[in-house]
Formats: sequence, structure tokens, C-alpha cells
Amino acid sequence: MANRSEMWRTLSDPLIRQNPVTLQILGICSALAVTTTLATAVTMSISLTVVLTLSAGLVSTIRRHIPDTIRLIVQIVIVASLVIVIDQVLQAYFAEISRALSVYVGLITTNCLVLGRTEAYARHNAPLPAMVDAFGNGLGYSLILILLGGLRELFGKGELFGREVLPLADAGGWFTPLSLMLLAPSAFFLLGLLVWVVRSFYPEQAEAPEHTPPLGAEPAE
Amino acid sequence: MIRGLWNRETVALMLLAAYLPLALFWLWLGGSEALGRLGLSVLVVAIWHLVFMLVRAQPPSLAALTTALAVAMLAPEDLGVLRMVLGITFGVVMGELVFGGWGRNVVNPATVTLSFLGFGFPAFAWPAFDDPTAWAAIPAALIGVATGTMPAPVLAGAVLVGAAAAAGGILPEPVLFAAGIALVLLVADPVTCAATTLGRWINGALYAALVALFATGWAGAAPVQIAVAAALLTSLAAPLLDEAALALWIANRRRRHGRT
Repeated sequence: MANRSEMWRTLSDPLIRQNPVTLQILGICSALAVTTTLATAVTMSISLTVVLTLSAGLVSTIRRHIPDTIRLIVQIVIVASLVIVIDQVLQAYFAEISRALSVYVGLITTNCLVLGRTEAYARHNAPLPAMVDAFGNGLGYSLILILLGGLRELFGKGELFGREVLPLADAGGWFTPLSLMLLAPSAFFLLGLLVWVVRSFYPEQAEAPEHTPPLGAEPAE
Repeated sequence: MIRGLWNRETVALMLLAAYLPLALFWLWLGGSEALGRLGLSVLVVAIWHLVFMLVRAQPPSLAALTTALAVAMLAPEDLGVLRMVLGITFGVVMGELVFGGWGRNVVNPATVTLSFLGFGFPAFAWPAFDDPTAWAAIPAALIGVATGTMPAPVLAGAVLVGAAAAAGGILPEPVLFAAGIALVLLVADPVTCAATTLGRWINGALYAALVALFATGWAGAAPVQIAVAAALLTSLAAPLLDEAALALWIANRRRRHGRT
């Protein structure tokens, strides 16, 4: 029973409390690049979660046979092979989305999140906990990506999954799209606001202030 | 400066006094529509200052009025209430209040607001200014320098380079007017301009040079758009300019006195 609750914690912790994107700021590059529409965000999330879970399982299975000195090479080879498989599947069945994602599926290989989990967790734990942990981290990443993708597509185009949600002003509705939402800076803003929200619910995540303002140097402000 | 009399709010009041000629001429020529824009900006900025006072115990500042004036004067026209509120909210919260209020911000909140509105709603026309409003920037700058609240080197550097560019014929008159108003309202801000004297000279010169560059190379940009973009880039470069000025000073001292 204790084992099961521990497993549940491994799975649920990375969702919000230990979220890889908002707490550890990992995997930012793809989180910013592929979130212009919800469809690409969802595809990217699924691809990353699959790659992460499978690679964690593989690395964990052979963890006692990987020499320490070449462990990164071995991990990257495993991750890269899985990424190639995923990329081929996407190209075969979802050609349009695959084109929209361009290089970012391939770049899952170098995603800090994948290497971070295999290096930090899968290398030291049995396959099942390693896969659960990787799956939880994948879900945490997906949560942020889908949230960002949804917000950006909704306010940038008035659509969700390419279907109209907010009637556009051009077509007789009331909503004027915020074209800024489709540009990269807005992903930074939204992610920053998201980190702010998470850290105001979990104040222990906030970083210690680097400077302390002088006390009483100025007369009453 | 006399200790005890000069605090943050005195500086804000003096800045307001400096902006009075500009604001009065603009209101006089703009009429009730201008008054409405100013009222809306003041209201939104004041509400956010109030929220941060209540939630984070950050003292509100009279500088809110200067921000509101700059936004009301330079924001694109006919945006409608909702977009104005969105833009001002973003600029004031992300540009100033999250850093701890006026005096701790890195970029001018009005510059952030205007850039946000410009990038977010590119379809709306930027305002144009009548001659008297633009000329009123000169007394504003003079009052600011006389009271010591506007950095004189920034203004001098900008005027120097701007005059050279205008003499060379690469600054058309509308751009010159818009750049002058933006110089007073956005660039010559005591908080977000460079802090060292050398850095301030370069800061002003950089602003004028960017305006000249955009005026010649940016096809189809409105004068105010050019000025706001130059102001944003300049304020982002200000810490770098300070760093360079300090490094130069340290290098000079090492050359004169051996090891520091």
C-alpha cells in the first residue's frame, strides 16, 4: 500500500508542484516554438511523453550495464532512435502537423527534459518507477504546452483546434484577434505569468531575493 | 539636493510639473477626446497601483500620472476601451509594478504599453501631433532639467545627434516632432535611462541615431511608431551603456594608479 501511494506521488508531483517547465524551466525551447496552435502543442506533448516514458524504461532496464563514462552517449542513442520512430510515424499519418512542427520533433533528442529525467531518475531506479516518473513529467510538460497552445490559439486566432470559437470581427463577430499572441514573445509572457501564478500558490518555489533594499534610507515614500 | 525634502514623490511631482506645458497644449488642441483618453489611462493605471498597494503593500506613486499621460498622448487612435485597458494593464503590471513599483523598474511602463499596443494591434493608426504640442516639448525639457529630474546629458546627446541628422536632411519634420515628444515623455525618464553621465550621453545619442535609422530605413512606419520603437530599444540598451561606462572608468583608474 505504501508502495502504491509512493508511486502515485511520483506520478502526480511533476504535474504542478514539481512541474518540469514552471519549476525547473526545462524544455522551454519547444514549449515556446510549437504552441502557436493547440493541434501542434498536443502532438508535441504526446510525442514527448511517449519518447520520455519509453526511453526511461529502456535506460532503466539496462542501467546496470551502462558504463558511467559513456552513459550520455548511450542515453542519447536510445532517445534518438525513439525520436526517429516517432518522427516517421508523424510523417506517415499526420503529414500536415509534422510539417508544422518542422524540426522540433527531431529536437526532442536534445530536450533537456528527456535527458534530465533519464540521467537523474531512470539511471538509479527500477523500470516501473522510472517509467511512472517519466510519464508524470511528460504529463506535466503536456499540461503547460496545452495550456499555452490553447490560450495562444484562442486569443491569437479565435479558434481552438482550427475551429472557430470566438466570432471574428472581420466576419461580423465581435472578437479582434491579438496578433501578438502568435509571435514568440507572447509565449514568454504567458509562461512568465504562469510561473508567477504557480509560485504564488507554492511560495516555497520562489527564489531567494538577490538584493535586500536598504532599510529606511529614504524618508517615508 | 536637500535631504528630507527630496524623496520619490517630490521627483514625481517635479516631473509632472515639467510635463504640464506639453499636457496643456495637447489637451487644448485635442479637446474632449484627448481628455477622455487621459481619463481612461489615469483610471486604469491608478487601479493597478491601488491593487498592488493592497495586495503587496507597495506604496503607490504619483508617477502613475506621468505614465498615463505618455500612454494617452502616444497610443494608437480609436483602439476602444477594452484594448486600451488590456495594453495599459500589461505595460503597467509587467513593466513596472512586478518589479516593486516606480524606481525599481527596468523599462518605462509607458514604453512597454505602447510597444504592446503597437505590436498587438498593428491595424490602428498612430496619432499625429500639431506643431504647438511638439514645440511644448522644449519648455517641458527645460523645466525637467532645471529641477534636476530629467537627465540633462540624455537630452543633450539626443539633441546633438538629432540636430546633426536633421541638418543632414534625414529627419523629416513629422518624425522630428514625434521623436521630440517621445524623448521627453519616454526616454528622459530618471528611472530607466542610463545612470552614469557618459552612459547618459550615449543613451540620448543612441535614441536619436535609432530614430534617424528607422526614419530612413523603415518603410511605411508612422512617426510615433518610429519614436516608440527607438525608445524601447534604447531603454533595453541602457544597462549595457552603464556597464560600458563603468568598465571604461575602472580601466582608466587602473591605467593611472596601477592595480585597483
